[in-house]
Amino acid sequence: MKDLINKFFGRPQSSKEDAKQRLKFLLIHDQVDLTPGQLEAMKSEILDVISKYVEVEEGESNLKLERLEDCVALTSSIPVRRVVQRAASAG
Amino acid sequence: MSECIVVTSGKGGVGKTTTTANLGVALALLGKKVAVVDADIGLRNLDVILGLENRIVYDLVHVIEGHCRLKQALIRDKRAAGLFLLPAAQTRDKTAVTPEQMRELVQQLKEDFDVVLMDCPAGIEQGFKNAVAGADRAVIVTTPEVSAIRDADRIIGMVEAAELPEPELIINRFRASMVEAGDMMNKEDILEIPAIPLLGMVPDHQDIIVSANRGVPVSFDEESLVGEAFRRIARRVTGETDVPELDLSPDSGWWKTFKRWMGFAPQQGVAG
Repeated sequence: MKDLINKFFGRPQSSKEDAKQRLKFLLIHDQVDLTPGQLEAMKSEILDVISKYVEVEEGESNLKLERLEDCVALTSSIPVRRVVQRAASAG
Repeated sequence: MSECIVVTSGKGGVGKTTTTANLGVALALLGKKVAVVDADIGLRNLDVILGLENRIVYDLVHVIEGHCRLKQALIRDKRAAGLFLLPAAQTRDKTAVTPEQMRELVQQLKEDFDVVLMDCPAGIEQGFKNAVAGADRAVIVTTPEVSAIRDADRIIGMVEAAELPEPELIINRFRASMVEAGDMMNKEDILEIPAIPLLGMVPDHQDIIVSANRGVPVSFDEESLVGEAFRRIARRVTGETDVPELDLSPDSGWWKTFKRWMGFAPQQGVAG
């Protein structure tokens, strides 16, 4: 409730909420032994490969780990602008 | 001249990591180039206290095993110029490195930094030996509790056995109101046992919990008394000798003056 009120008045979220979010994030990354930094590096490599074939919106692409019921999933959303010219991809 | 300072305690949970993070920040704010190193391999936490956990790609074990260069593993703290973190590995254990390798690593860090602050794991086993291997001196963190002081006393012996100079003490989680009520050992009581110089006392305060929640060390907070305690300790660490003691007494202003005038005042010994 307090968080809702804070949100309404545009106040920063409570430090407890910060703690909870950070903890969830850490646990999920510990589970797969992949740091957020490594995930970021992986994302940029994947985008490099995809960009050979299609033009993507890099700024709006994301790759993240999510905790499902009994496993951790790697989910990704990469908006495509258009297919890159064949000639360019052949090299 | 650069030096490596190990922050140790023997007992777990007394605030080594919080102390390392806050001294690191405070020393950087004094203009020093500081590397804070998490030597707690397998249970890294210094990154979390500093709020830098999202930026880790490589860690200490990667550097030692040659998978990356030291510079690649160092994370720059954008909030304090000159502050860098070398994180521990999370999925390895303390046998992944040897004291020899730690000594080499510290030598390498000392070429680039004024101060290398080493966050030592709890215990007296190999993790401790690794952490002290490259150190030039030690700071021991304790709390006003029997178990913590007993372990601090034991650690002093081990620091001396490692041929380091006489360590210095930080008393953490000090509660002046409890001291006044006679329910907590005061500064003099504590210093009777580990007879080493006091670097300072840090009050027990909720600021610490909020700062850990957010990943923003309290040394950044100019308003915070705890932050001020760490900033003064940092000045003493750099060799400043005339840093005034911080007044930690529970009540201040006219009420304290009145109580002292009435003869109810506690002795003036509750400052750090």
